Amino acid sequence: MSDLGSIAILLSFFITIYSLVACAVAARTGRRAFAQSGGNGIVSVAFLLLVAVCCLVYELVTLDFSLRYVALNTSTDLPVIYRVTALWAGQAGSLLLWSFVLSLYAAFVVFRSRKKGGDPYVNAVLCAVSLFFLFLIAYVEDPFEKLGVAVGEGRGLNPILQNGYMAIHPITLYVGYVGITVPFAFGIAALLSGRLGDEWIRNCRKYALFSWMFLSAGLLLGARWAYLELGWGGYWAWDPVENAAFMPWLAGTAFLHSVMIQERKAMLKKWNMILLIITFFLSIFGTFITRSGIVSSVHSFARSDIGPLFLGFMVFILIFSFALLVYRSKDLESEERFDSVLSRESAFLFNNLLFLAAAFSVFLGTIFPVLSEAFTGKKILVGPPYFNAVGVPIGLVLILLMGIGPLISWKKASTANLKRNFVFPAAVFVVVFLALLAFGLREPVALLSFALCGFVAATVFLEYFRGIKVRSGRGENLVSAFFNLISRNRRRYGGYIVHLGVVLLVAGITASSLFVTQKEVVLEKGDSFSLGRYDLVFRGVRFISNDAKDGFSAELSIENNGKSVAIMYPEKNIYKYEGNREINQETEVALRSTFRDDLYLILSEVGGGGKVNVRALLNPMVNWIWAGGFVIVFGAIVTMWPERRRKKEVGRDE
Amino acid sequence: MKGKLKFILPLLVIVSLISWLVFAGVKDSMVYYITVDELLEDVPDIYGQKVRVSGTVVHGSIKNELDDSLRFTIEAGEGKLDVEYDGIIPDIFTDGVEAVVEGKFSADNVFEADLLLAKCPTKYESEEAPYQRKKG
Repeated sequence: MSDLGSIAILLSFFITIYSLVACAVAARTGRRAFAQSGGNGIVSVAFLLLVAVCCLVYELVTLDFSLRYVALNTSTDLPVIYRVTALWAGQAGSLLLWSFVLSLYAAFVVFRSRKKGGDPYVNAVLCAVSLFFLFLIAYVEDPFEKLGVAVGEGRGLNPILQNGYMAIHPITLYVGYVGITVPFAFGIAALLSGRLGDEWIRNCRKYALFSWMFLSAGLLLGARWAYLELGWGGYWAWDPVENAAFMPWLAGTAFLHSVMIQERKAMLKKWNMILLIITFFLSIFGTFITRSGIVSSVHSFARSDIGPLFLGFMVFILIFSFALLVYRSKDLESEERFDSVLSRESAFLFNNLLFLAAAFSVFLGTIFPVLSEAFTGKKILVGPPYFNAVGVPIGLVLILLMGIGPLISWKKASTANLKRNFVFPAAVFVVVFLALLAFGLREPVALLSFALCGFVAATVFLEYFRGIKVRSGRGENLVSAFFNLISRNRRRYGGYIVHLGVVLLVAGITASSLFVTQKEVVLEKGDSFSLGRYDLVFRGVRFISNDAKDGFSAELSIENNGKSVAIMYPEKNIYKYEGNREINQETEVALRSTFRDDLYLILSEVGGGGKVNVRALLNPMVNWIWAGGFVIVFGAIVTMWPERRRKKEVGRDE
Repeated sequence: MKGKLKFILPLLVIVSLISWLVFAGVKDSMVYYITVDELLEDVPDIYGQKVRVSGTVVHGSIKNELDDSLRFTIEAGEGKLDVEYDGIIPDIFTDGVEAVVEGKFSADNVFEADLLLAKCPTKYESEEAPYQRKKG
């Protein structure tokens, strides 16, 4: 099987070279046969890489320890599901997956445009990007590389990575990361061909949104994994690897917003191109950070041969794209101009600027150690305080803009417009602010953040309310008015759903990062302590043992007002596997989750005589974050859902 | 020109505000990232300064009593450093791993850490003996 896989990868590499040439010829000469042939090449590469992926999965599942990749990432005690997910646990497998996902996107693009004969420019760019990754797996990091001598047992997968979220989170992120290549290809194709109307934007918008949705989901799944598995009570640590995925998300969010301005007002054309190039650059940079180990991180990946190649590729992307942009810059002049600072255009512009500033400051903070070492010879880190100090103010202003943007009028907002649209949301802002103040909340950031959340929620509500009112005035009943409203203008009302998800997310992040109660206690059987509204009684510790692991499990019964509400079992396990893997400890937190708060118990230490050391945290509103994630994904799906072909109603401004 | 100025002014304000945020953020939160031997070279200047130090956990040095802080020793090059830490201990922290601690070193020769990270040597790929590549 491994030979088959190797052959499939090599074939993909050469076919991609051919497709690139064929598409380039088709682009220069306009000959359809070449475009067709290049497109066929792209589709066949998708099949070949599917074969390669299946081969690798087969080898992983059957534990062929003569392969380096299998020996490094699996072991005989590993459940089958984690043997499959080992596909993306290591470098070579991840790169194969990158190539495969990209080939699927490319094949889909070819398939979608087949009636129009395909766009050879777009296909050529997709081939060029694929080529880089195929080169890596064909010649530098071969997933089917054989070991000099087969080993009897593999190294296995770290127990903290054996978790359902860890299994799906990387692939979700990958679908997002890789997907950004498609809008990038459309943008570069527009620059290459000189067809710079907004057709390319309309064509690539859904791909951009699709990958944005996966990036968002991937980020949250990663956060959820960290929260459940790393056992420190938090979900985000501004670790370089987390930032790596966050940066393209920020730039991509800016892009998704500013394309609306280009479509509607034919402005910001250059700016959109720049955003797209930056987003793509950051997604490659993110892959580079996670895969090269250039920035030291708790997710420390080993340095490898691919670092310099990635660096070269990134420099090439930047020089090539920006040179092209400068070459075409005359054709990218805006057709209209900004009239007033108080307008929707400028709200979008400021939104863009802030997202980009956020991406830049995260970028700076992430590579600060590298920069400082290069310039001063000393490694200097900036930690979470830096990211919070910069991120929180930018974030708050962005939320404010999220409320203002959809309601303020185009061109120039009149006083009447401002009054009509903002009296209600502003009132909600004030009410939330004062109510929380009355309840004894004194943290200024939290007050502001919650009040802004109320403000945005009010704007979304207002928009829905008005839309439904207009429709029900025409005789529709409320429910059908609601659904028709969304289905007739999915982009607008789906976008509002996403905004609502962001509100939930922000509220959750605000509460859970500012108001954690935590206690560390040493307990003997029968001891109790209180945490917030809960009383916790320690009922003893048990030794547990099964085939895979030995461990301790502490039993704590949780009472609220004298009533028992739950029994929780935080665990500390030692995996029995004695291969080459050195990490066998795993702390399994116990979690009781409600929308009000999470009770999070960590068994830190088990001592003699049944004494234990327990750390207990009460994290408020963490569930709001995950709920927000679901709402965001739902909103994005609503926005992307294909419009039924029927006459569009004439609505108010989009 | 006046139309453009209306925009350039607020943009300028925003850009300078953000630059200030970044600058202040870096200034307030920067810590030097050094190894144990580099830290010991800087004694006594380093006393009381917040730094991040990396080193390998000395075998058998970890003492973790229930009611007490975690104590262990890390080493790099010639230097050894005794560390005291209260807080969450990462699962992968054990003898022989590379530990990263952040905190302050004081004249009593104990490093008071408020952050402990452990780098797992085998979590991802490394060139270990049994897994040598065929070529080279």
